[in-house]
Amino acid sequence: MEQLALSVKELNKYFHEPQTFHVLKDISFEIKKGEFLALTGKSGSGKSTLLYILSTMDTAYEGTLTINGSKLTGKAQNELAAFRNEHIGFVFQFHYLLPEFSALDNVMLPALKLGKKPVEEIREKALENLKLLGIENQAMKPANKLSGGQQQLVAIARALINEPTIIMGDEPTGNLDSKNTRIVFDIFRELAKERGQTIIAVTHDDDFASNCDRILELMDGKLIHQ
Amino acid sequence: MIVSKTNYKIANAHLTSRLKQTLVAILSVTFGISMYIFMNSFMTGVNDTQTGLAFSTLAHIRIYNDIPKDNTNLFKNKVDDETLVKVRNPKIIQYTEGIKNSEKILNMLDTIPEISGITPQLNINVFFRNGATKVNGMLSGIDVVHEDQLFGTAQYVIEGNWIDLDRRSDGILLGSGLAKKLSLRLNDNVIVTTEEGITKNYKVIGIVETTLASVDNTRAYIRIGFARQLISKNIGYVTDIQINVKDYNNTAALSEQIRQMTPYKVEPWQEANGQLEAANKLRNIIAIAVSLTILIVAGFGIYNIMNMTVNEKIREIAILKAMGFDGKDIIQIFLTQSIIIGILGGIAGIVFGYLVSVVVNHIPFKIASLETLPITYRSSDYVMAFVFGLITTFIAGYLPAKKASQVDPVEIIRG
Repeated sequence: MEQLALSVKELNKYFHEPQTFHVLKDISFEIKKGEFLALTGKSGSGKSTLLYILSTMDTAYEGTLTINGSKLTGKAQNELAAFRNEHIGFVFQFHYLLPEFSALDNVMLPALKLGKKPVEEIREKALENLKLLGIENQAMKPANKLSGGQQQLVAIARALINEPTIIMGDEPTGNLDSKNTRIVFDIFRELAKERGQTIIAVTHDDDFASNCDRILELMDGKLIHQ
Repeated sequence: MIVSKTNYKIANAHLTSRLKQTLVAILSVTFGISMYIFMNSFMTGVNDTQTGLAFSTLAHIRIYNDIPKDNTNLFKNKVDDETLVKVRNPKIIQYTEGIKNSEKILNMLDTIPEISGITPQLNINVFFRNGATKVNGMLSGIDVVHEDQLFGTAQYVIEGNWIDLDRRSDGILLGSGLAKKLSLRLNDNVIVTTEEGITKNYKVIGIVETTLASVDNTRAYIRIGFARQLISKNIGYVTDIQINVKDYNNTAALSEQIRQMTPYKVEPWQEANGQLEAANKLRNIIAIAVSLTILIVAGFGIYNIMNMTVNEKIREIAILKAMGFDGKDIIQIFLTQSIIIGILGGIAGIVFGYLVSVVVNHIPFKIASLETLPITYRSSDYVMAFVFGLITTFIAGYLPAKKASQVDPVEIIRG
């Protein structure tokens, strides 16, 4: 049990608009700590929907979700927010930074919210993360002055700041060129191996997926490969 | 609710990134609050002028001997209901007029601390004559020093000198309208005839103009002692005792207290001049209604702008929530923005409201005794405006903030 990062039991999800539609059908799986996992499937197969349920942001589902040994199904929104802040790092398809803030401030934000470390320490850690991704020279630039690829990297640095148990990405390398994709992939691989952090990435990139430890493949809402 | 540093930082970034919108929101609060201050200062100014004018001849409390009440049934309470009484054309044969032995009442009133001034008056209905012209009017025998203390009559003397009344036994001060009707000028003679037919010649030693036509057209002043001589009354005889109190809104309780001490009629100004009080209250209601409306409109302005901000920042709200900011944080972020707008707008509104009041106070308005439009500066108006302004911005900001806190991040992030 101690080794499990995440487990899902008999997960079912319906969309009711415009008509009732069974998106995810009886999905159950377990992910161990330190696993680097790709979630694949054709467009419309339900992989993003699954990811948002795993992220705890989507709570309208049937079944149970357990992360890090704590059952999250049925918890209040504010509790889930606090949980996300500490245990889950998120990278989105379209980066989503706060445009008024500098790259560095964006990276620091989740740690400031968590408030477990002094600001100076958070700042150093944030700079270290930016350096890891090779964009430390952009730290002071406002986020809306960065290129799409740079913003994506800042978002990844932000996801790492609280050293979360699980890092989730919805096409985390979708906006990156092959060189940067390589960098990000290597970082993810290292995080999984060295720090035991679990990575779950939704991807269309077969190359990316094939290099992961494990692939979950969805088709029409069913798990066809794990 | 203590705003966390991080939330404050985000709120601040939102405000400064849309400086123009923020400024418009601040201006709408500024406008609302300054108009609230101006409207109330102006209305209070008008009220104060109006009551000031009224109190130039009207005392806060008047004591006089009222004519006996309804006396058509002289046997009331004297015979039982079984007895039939019929009196044709009843008349009162005799009753005491005026207040005799006023000294006793005056001494008693002197001991009441709430009273700020007392003056006795002897008012007589007379005819003023100059040649063939005959005008009906009121001759007031007054205490020269105390009369001026209560009503400031001396400042309305436009010709001659108020204090001369004390010096000349045949001196009279005429209202300006009365003097005009009688074609009289300073140092002319006027003949006064009382109801009893006594006639006396006076010398005009001054003209009074209070701007109240009812006073200026009918009234004349002489010293009270000489008035007693004219109608052959003893020392101590007066028709009215006029009393001013420290707070003129506070006459009811005091009147009751005085009523216990004298058999005479005690009449507070509100009773005699209900229209004055009604007008004051109505003006206050108008001022409050108008200024609150303006504040509410300003509130709608803030509501609108904050709503726009929430819609504009909806992706950021979603990302903040994904990172673990909860509903309370989001409310803090947006409520902080509107409260900052409210405080800045409030401070600017207080300054601007004061400036508008000062400017209006300098606009010439030469009617009655006024020189410029009246304004009364009261700190309570400024405090109330600020408080109401903050309440308005709080409510107007809370609704969009609440909406922002309920944003579903999944819906926004998935597009």
